[in-house]
Amino acid sequence: MAVYEHTYKQYLGKLTPEWSRFLVIPRHAFRDVFKSKLFTAFYVVCFIPLLVEAILIYLHHNVNALAILQVNVRELVPIDATFFETFVSLQGSFAFFVALLVGPPLVARDLRNNALPLYLCRPFSRTEYVIGKMSVLLILLSGMTWVPQLLLFLFQSYLEGFRWFIDNLWIASAIFIASVVWILLLALLSQAISALVKWRVVASAALLGLFFIPSIFGEVVNNLFMTRWGNIISLGALIKNVTSGLFGTFVRSTGHVIGRNGRIVREIVMTEPPLWASWLVLFVICAACLALLSWKVKAYEVVR
Amino acid sequence: MNESTSQSESGQVPIRNSQSEFRNSEMIVFDDVSKFYGEILGINRVSLHIAPGITSLVGPNGAGKSTLMNLMTGLLRPSRGRITILGIPTDQPEQLFRKLGYCTQFDSFPRGLTGEEFIRSFLLVHGVERRKAKELTQVALERVSLVEAGKRKMAAYSKGMRQRIRLAQAIAHQPEVMILDEPLNGLDPMVRAETIALFRKLAAEGLHLIISSHILHEVDMMSDRVILLNNGYVVAEGNVHGVRDEMQDRPMQILIRCDKPAKLAARVFDKDHVVEARLHDDRLGLFVKTRDSDRFYLMLNSVVAEGEINIESIAPVDDDLSAVYQYLIGSEGSNS
Repeated sequence: MAVYEHTYKQYLGKLTPEWSRFLVIPRHAFRDVFKSKLFTAFYVVCFIPLLVEAILIYLHHNVNALAILQVNVRELVPIDATFFETFVSLQGSFAFFVALLVGPPLVARDLRNNALPLYLCRPFSRTEYVIGKMSVLLILLSGMTWVPQLLLFLFQSYLEGFRWFIDNLWIASAIFIASVVWILLLALLSQAISALVKWRVVASAALLGLFFIPSIFGEVVNNLFMTRWGNIISLGALIKNVTSGLFGTFVRSTGHVIGRNGRIVREIVMTEPPLWASWLVLFVICAACLALLSWKVKAYEVVR
Repeated sequence: MNESTSQSESGQVPIRNSQSEFRNSEMIVFDDVSKFYGEILGINRVSLHIAPGITSLVGPNGAGKSTLMNLMTGLLRPSRGRITILGIPTDQPEQLFRKLGYCTQFDSFPRGLTGEEFIRSFLLVHGVERRKAKELTQVALERVSLVEAGKRKMAAYSKGMRQRIRLAQAIAHQPEVMILDEPLNGLDPMVRAETIALFRKLAAEGLHLIISSHILHEVDMMSDRVILLNNGYVVAEGNVHGVRDEMQDRPMQILIRCDKPAKLAARVFDKDHVVEARLHDDRLGLFVKTRDSDRFYLMLNSVVAEGEINIESIAPVDDDLSAVYQYLIGSEGSNS
């Protein structure tokens, strides 16, 4: 058969910037996720602690409201680093459950259906694919952690005055860093598990197990050896330490009294792993997740 | 014609028949390419120059078809050698995928999307602007006759529609090279015929279509050339009839329908190039195996001219892809 002269013209129109293309992935993922009324309701519930936080901040500065409620300002929790740390940790717990619901199917579904070539046969790299998938969680979790927390920090600054804002700017950075570390860890872990386990339920169970099983094991180590070094394998404890470090509330050595029949038998000083060790372990976990993603997220897994 | 449309005034344009008339920047070039998966051979020492038109990859499972396709798309990197697609090395995805469209065998679609949304989304991944993406989506849906169905959710699509929407996503960004993995699977005869017609139209416009298929008679019907692969090696490449002609060790089988096959058998037996003559079961035809089909046809001309035997038809029996496949690859691949 004859081959005709080339008359077909490829698309030569204007292109959008390369960096923005990954946003196509979260756009569809959000639509998919928020189709579930149950999830939408849960996501709304996640904002209740923030509402409580906002009310507490407001009450601190509203004498009339305190008078109506017949509450003395001293009876309210002080608005300080511990206040924000508490709510950051609380939102972190909600973020974990959101990650548990949203994270596991993100990559798993594409891998199970051999759909990766669909993405990768475009000017779209594996890195962009992973960023696109991770951004689903990063955006969702940011929306319920550091973004509203920083808004509430600004709200408190507005009510308290510019001086308070300047003096406590470090709290804002602690809110931001602690939240970002947590959501980055959640996003990486859930993506790595999602890439490794192709079934959603198993992936969710694996993520849950990864947080709780080492924590239980760590607690056993702590109790057996009268130490706190068992926390080095507990993701929850690691994050708690890092968060405390950022908010300046980290206490490394705590006394532990062993008593019998009301009498003090022994007092032991239990020592938490140093902060740098917690940071290091978190860094290693994140690096391992990235290595796993790099290994698994490929257009083709050749099995012969 | 604006810058982004692909409609051609085709048909009335110069023709280039020979592969040698194309420059490397117009062809898909494999230069001594090998791909090993650890110690396992994917393909070995493949050198090809693929000109525009429809090129089919044929071979049994594990022959290296998918490896060859994945190497072309840059989704796999060669262990040795170099591949260029219209002059672009396959390790430059940004430029490569402007020119290349890939229709995989995947059967996964984002949940809740309509056909239109699906194609538009991947155009956005390509970097096409939103307004233009909408326009190109319509063009692609028209090409695969899915304009109406494009508004429906893909979850409700039949297998044939899913196959066509896959094809639409591969052609939507108007590539110059299309790599199609089993594009005819699951299509009913009507849609199959329409799809083949679409391939032929695209090929006529100057596109490269690389198609892998197991349906040999369809490959035979639509392909400008075939690449036969077995155990990671290119066994044969080129036009089917050309490949068949070069298989000198396999005499050509010809069926001659005539009123006196026994007499004809006696005539042909004394020719040195005829190796076998066998009467057809209905005794109204003669199977002849010849090493030199050209000489045999010349001889038949003289038989016809003499008028003693009335010849109704002459047809080569094994001058098709199935026969070439059977001879070169054998029965091991015939079921795949």
